[in-house]
Amino acid sequence: MPTNQIAGQRCDGWKRRDFLRLGTVGALGLAQFLRLRAQACGAGVKEPQARRCILVWLDGGPSHLETFDLKPEVPVDVRGPFHPIRTTVPGLDLCELLPGLAGMARHLAVIRSMTSPLGEHGIANQYLLTGYKPSAALQYPSYGSVLSYVRGANGLLPPYVAIPEFRGGAGYLDLAHRPFVTGGDPSKADFQVRDLNLYPGITPGRMDRRRDFLAEFDRAQAGEQSRLLPPDSAFSQAHRLTTSAEAKRAFHLGEESAKTRARYGPRPIGQSCLLARRLVERDVPFVSIHNGGWDTHDSLTLQLRDGYSGAKVGVGLLPSLDLALSALIGDLAERGLLDQTLVVVMGEFGRTPKLNTRGGRDHWPRVFSLLMAGGGVRGGQVIGSSDRVGESPHDHPVTPADLAFSLYTLLGVDPSLELHTADGRPVPVNQGGAMIRGLV
Amino acid sequence: MTPVWLLLALLAGAAPPVPHFSTGIIPVLTKAGCNSGACHGAAAGRGGFHLSLFGADPDADHEQLVHALQGRRINLAHPAASLILKKSTALIDHGGDMALTPDGPGAALIESWIAAGAPRGVNRLLTRFRVVAAPTVLAKPGATTTLQAIASLDGEPERDVTAWTVFTTTDPASVTMGPTTAQGAQATVNRRGRHAVIARFLNRVESLPLILPLDGPPPDFRNEPAENWIDRELNASLTELRLPVSPQADDATFIRRATLALTGTLPNPADVDLYTGDRSSGKRAALVDRLLRGADFPEYWTLKLSRVLDLRSPSGEKAGTAALVGWLRDSLRADTPMPMDRWARELLTASGDSHQVGPANFPRLSGDARGQAELVGRVFLGVRLQCANCHNHPLDAWTQDDYHGLAAIFARLERSRVVRIASRGEVTNPRTGQPAIPRLPGSRAVTEPGDPRLVLAEWLTHPNNPHFARAQVNRLWRALFGRGLVEPVDDMRASNPATHPALLDRLAHDFTKNGHDLRFMLRQIALSQAFGRSSLPRPEVPKNDSFYSFYPTHDPEPEVLADAISWVTGVPDPYPGQPLGTRAISLCDPGSTAPSLDILGRCQRQAGCDMAGGGGIGLPARLHLLNGGLLNDRIGTPAGRLGKLLAADKSDREIIAEFYRVALSRNPTPPEAAGWLARLSQGPLGDRQERLEDFIWALLNCREFTSNH
Repeated sequence: MPTNQIAGQRCDGWKRRDFLRLGTVGALGLAQFLRLRAQACGAGVKEPQARRCILVWLDGGPSHLETFDLKPEVPVDVRGPFHPIRTTVPGLDLCELLPGLAGMARHLAVIRSMTSPLGEHGIANQYLLTGYKPSAALQYPSYGSVLSYVRGANGLLPPYVAIPEFRGGAGYLDLAHRPFVTGGDPSKADFQVRDLNLYPGITPGRMDRRRDFLAEFDRAQAGEQSRLLPPDSAFSQAHRLTTSAEAKRAFHLGEESAKTRARYGPRPIGQSCLLARRLVERDVPFVSIHNGGWDTHDSLTLQLRDGYSGAKVGVGLLPSLDLALSALIGDLAERGLLDQTLVVVMGEFGRTPKLNTRGGRDHWPRVFSLLMAGGGVRGGQVIGSSDRVGESPHDHPVTPADLAFSLYTLLGVDPSLELHTADGRPVPVNQGGAMIRGLV
Repeated sequence: MTPVWLLLALLAGAAPPVPHFSTGIIPVLTKAGCNSGACHGAAAGRGGFHLSLFGADPDADHEQLVHALQGRRINLAHPAASLILKKSTALIDHGGDMALTPDGPGAALIESWIAAGAPRGVNRLLTRFRVVAAPTVLAKPGATTTLQAIASLDGEPERDVTAWTVFTTTDPASVTMGPTTAQGAQATVNRRGRHAVIARFLNRVESLPLILPLDGPPPDFRNEPAENWIDRELNASLTELRLPVSPQADDATFIRRATLALTGTLPNPADVDLYTGDRSSGKRAALVDRLLRGADFPEYWTLKLSRVLDLRSPSGEKAGTAALVGWLRDSLRADTPMPMDRWARELLTASGDSHQVGPANFPRLSGDARGQAELVGRVFLGVRLQCANCHNHPLDAWTQDDYHGLAAIFARLERSRVVRIASRGEVTNPRTGQPAIPRLPGSRAVTEPGDPRLVLAEWLTHPNNPHFARAQVNRLWRALFGRGLVEPVDDMRASNPATHPALLDRLAHDFTKNGHDLRFMLRQIALSQAFGRSSLPRPEVPKNDSFYSFYPTHDPEPEVLADAISWVTGVPDPYPGQPLGTRAISLCDPGSTAPSLDILGRCQRQAGCDMAGGGGIGLPARLHLLNGGLLNDRIGTPAGRLGKLLAADKSDREIIAEFYRVALSRNPTPPEAAGWLARLSQGPLGDRQERLEDFIWALLNCREFTSNH
């Protein structure tokens, strides 16, 4: 059980700050402190329902009124260009451009009452990705970084992979908990993870020779001093990643059949989802997918449906997303991975109920929607609702802090687990959040 | 229960029959951990019960204990049945389990205080607090010493407060705190060296060194006469600890070390030859003087000072950054150097068009007055004030009033392109809910009319201010040794003592006395014998020794490494928007485009660059060095150093020697040269150029190249 092993590492890894705390509980005596600490550790890392998480980040803020919370009854300047379609789950109507997802509604939990006061991209990003409102005093770690810290690396592959780029860094945690960023475009035929493959002309034999030469230098230089130098774990890991066929296979989409690749769709979002599936199959705890373009201040139809003007078949954001997500969720379910893999689809806020003069919608954080599937989430349900025009939460408002509380709980991280900043301040991974009612 | 506490009170000396709330009860809560940040001292409290962090606000705590919840937390009729006691002794369910032993002295004190009516009482002043130990020098690992904490309140006779003092250690692996008995608090020293025990009582923190020397004889300094008083201070510690010192480094190592540390540049092989061939006795001084006066020095130190200031372009406004960088560079000119006190005053008080007036960009580096207060704390005082935003600093004397009072000094600043004092502007002190009163932190309110920044700048750079000079010399020390006497350099506080407190004070004094002259101070430190020692420790010296018995190996900034790679490969790194050949150390704005620097881990100046610890470079950087273009694109290119040597028909032996000389500032030893010649001429793989490329790749990744040692 990797989780427990890692928990043991963390709990035995005495840090100076722990002893600062020890000092503060001096009256208890060491033995009792150890017992409390052991309890705290046991409570901090549980065997989770969701062993892994895929976060599909729709950067820019997807419109709730064009995706998961359509309002067919209201005037056209609010309603927007698209119609809802029914699913097998009463009340869980989705946009007509999401037929694939609609077909698997039994797996989906849609939250229609997300709410936040932050309507500017940068700060809203951070709030949604950390569960903390941004503060000038402290940068908070994103979910993937916290998971990386708690679970640690358990094998060749890095614990937090971002495809192809990332929002949400390690905050006050060590640099090592930043995501491993693939770069590139997974939908391109020549897609390669940045710097994972040998430089052209460097054969495996030359790579080995370089490693040997380097060892020669370091041995010759130091003699006595070599005992001072910690082994460079990043170098060993980099070398192993580069030379391990198994590690590289994880990133090699060419191994997938043409049929599978087509199922996810040809766009970057689809092939990113496919890559994410390959990584969670290999037990990478957290994979984030970055999909841009959702800041739709104008031309909803063009951007969300068509993709380019005059398109016969829509290849815009929504059809691409639908292909990708329905393939991902369906594929995970077929492989028996969905129960243990939490899929979260969200952006930093929703869009204004009223269409603007350019046929778009502007930033709207007061209410927006979010989609989850798998990982112990009860599918086939809608949680919360917005008011008649999609302006405010109607019932059961869910804050980003609640979201963080729930994600951590699902992933087996006690939301009250305390991490420490570089200067020793204890910070719980979540503050002020509560479990989203009915989610599990 | 009464007899128990009475007994203890008698043992401990004289204690008043009714414990005083702020000085008798709060320390019990602190000692038990009740008001720590992890429990009820958290900003939101815990379980509906909120105490001020470490009891900083007795009024609020008394309110919470006695009046809140309709007074249900105490029971005046049956003190022992008070909720506060039943919870803390875990008689009833308590999330924090048993914080106090039911029959222990803490519970007894609380009970007797409640029995007396739970009075608030007046505040008393902690007039004296000290910690003593017998002995402070121990004989062998595992030996134990006994600590006593002694306090005087309102100038009354001292009494023993050991039982209510919180003891911690800076290195828990080295010192273990045991139980507190009637004799005092037990501390066991497990490792040889000098360790600090930190004692906290009420709002005061004291540190006490405990020493466990090595077994051997005291070090022998006969071959190494102390060059200056810096060595005398350091040698006193080494003697006390009986740490044997490493010999002086050879000439080639010294010139590489000094040139890297002072100029961020590798020495030219010709200069190395001149230096190693020089037989004069004053050659180190001559070298250091040459480096301090050369053109690379201001270039590199402009970058260093930019990092200290967290310099970055406010919302992409390059003109302001350029003005500030230009001003920094001017302040470092060898002919007209700016004393650092003036440097600080100009940054603190400048106004005007920030595109013209360099230092006027300083306020713009922070988004608001509080951000500027924190930056001023880090840069000029060497302290982290941010804790005191929300609560009094738990480990230091800084209060919320200090924090918001310092912010209030900058409250009226307009931080647009033209920086000026507006007629209005304030920050709210959350403790009072009122506009904060401008305040010199830890000192006094600013009541003088006019721009309060002028008062701050005068106070801060005044010779009597203990913080400013200490913070600056600590950074200069770090520039030369890779670590400060206090680490992190922006976290100076009583609970984080210097490795050499007297030396730090003396450096600060010397710096002040000599006109706050950066070069003067660097010269003093660079000419110490300690700076010249070999980086190879003696076998018996502990690996993590921080007493300068050997020179500590450390990594230079990513910019320095990038320049060194360009120099060794002979191929400049093209930085977009900059002329080809621009050096990385000249890119002071972290917003400038430089992919290689981002890969190598350039500090993005989000929150203090000189606090970033070792950590090394991460996986993406390592992968890039292995497989990316930063090295691979450049090592073998015909226009590069290797290409030119091959074109000139140089032999393997000559090429090996050349690369050793430019990268490592020394010639290969005969066994090294022979070893490489053999390795490069054998094996089935590839042609000669490929083997040489692999040799250079390994050279550029090896510790001897990437570190300053």
